Amino acid sequence: MKALDIIHDEHRALGAVLQAFGFVLDGIRDGRFEPDFALLAAMIEYITQVPDKLHHPKEDDYLFVKMRERIPAAAALLDQLEAEHAEGARRTAALRGALVHYQGIGPAVFAEFEAAARTYLAASWSHVNREETELLPLARTGLAAQDWAEIDAAFEANKSPWSGPAGEFRALFSRIVNMVPSPMGVGASASAKG
Amino acid sequence: MSELLKLENVRAGYGDAVVLEDISFSLGEGDSLALLGRNGMGKTTLLSTLMGAARQHSGSLRFAGEDLAIVPAHARAHRGLGWVPQERDIFPSLTVEENLTVVATPGHWNLQRVYDMFPRLKERRTNMGNELSGGEQQMLAMGRALMLNPKLLLLDEPLEGLAPLIVQELLSIIRRLTEEGGMAVILVEQHARQILPLTRQALVLERGRAVYCGDSETLRADRDLLDSWLGVAAH
Repeated sequence: MKALDIIHDEHRALGAVLQAFGFVLDGIRDGRFEPDFALLAAMIEYITQVPDKLHHPKEDDYLFVKMRERIPAAAALLDQLEAEHAEGARRTAALRGALVHYQGIGPAVFAEFEAAARTYLAASWSHVNREETELLPLARTGLAAQDWAEIDAAFEANKSPWSGPAGEFRALFSRIVNMVPSPMGVGASASAKG
Repeated sequence: MSELLKLENVRAGYGDAVVLEDISFSLGEGDSLALLGRNGMGKTTLLSTLMGAARQHSGSLRFAGEDLAIVPAHARAHRGLGWVPQERDIFPSLTVEENLTVVATPGHWNLQRVYDMFPRLKERRTNMGNELSGGEQQMLAMGRALMLNPKLLLLDEPLEGLAPLIVQELLSIIRRLTEEGGMAVILVEQHARQILPLTRQALVLERGRAVYCGDSETLRADRDLLDSWLGVAAH
């Protein structure tokens, strides 16, 4: 069941960035951090690109397909998760638009940006939690060893699954860690107020 | 892979108190081992025994062909044992760069390579050790151990107390270190599932005794076994 470990690992990495994003939003709202638009753009790029380009396609193309074949009771859940995957592109476009608006207009529209970001974060956490608490336990018990061998082989065909073809998402993750203020990241304290 | 470290029936502890009983395993050059177990099972004592900070009561402990029992603790780092303790132990009154260079030993790892691995340390090179955040201190502790150019790197719970974002970053760096294979690594951690994919071998301690010594992948695949030995720490 290496595929399950890969999914857990990717959820952990994504969750770390989602958590950091919430921390940065808190800091800007409370006046502790100046808005760092390079950081906000990097985090939005990560939480939109990595799921849509690397994480969801593996689930859709291999795990979900096999679960539909073997576990009829999972159909409604899989329909919901696939719909959430498809909805992702629309939600990320809205979030990127909100950032451009915030960067252009300034602090007067921070509340709008924050609302869009919080909506995105809540939907992402909800989706990850649904997969962790409903999908993966169902997959673990409902698929046979041969099913897992096929899914694992497909997942493993992509080495360093969340790094991206040229390691670009690995580099993006490091950039985010180096920009997010302490204690969540190791970013420069100069980016924080007072 | 030629043999670097070999423990045979090692019994060790502090003073007369025995913490570890009958520990045997070996590690090749460039190999990697996850040292697992619940709190208080002897993981840190095993690293302390390798470094000479705990007392070896009996058994054999050989490193690079030499009997470590006759090598004093202060000389073990120069034999090629690099230790990153839980407390990190960086020098608070030295700058980041001084912390790195004060221990430097010629070899593959130099200041430039450490800065490439930890770009944040380069940005903070003139800051004092006590001005760093917890994540930066952990990076410095690891960077400093690399500057020794050890044959074996001992990492004692390097992820403890750090934010998830930094944990993921350090896991990625440790993965690079183990995959490059230039040095052997023993990694102590509570959260088995996060580190088993990074290491080739695993050793699980329970009440000071080894209950599993073998392939990481086999252990990782056996969810029931992991849960029984490590409980919530398995995840």
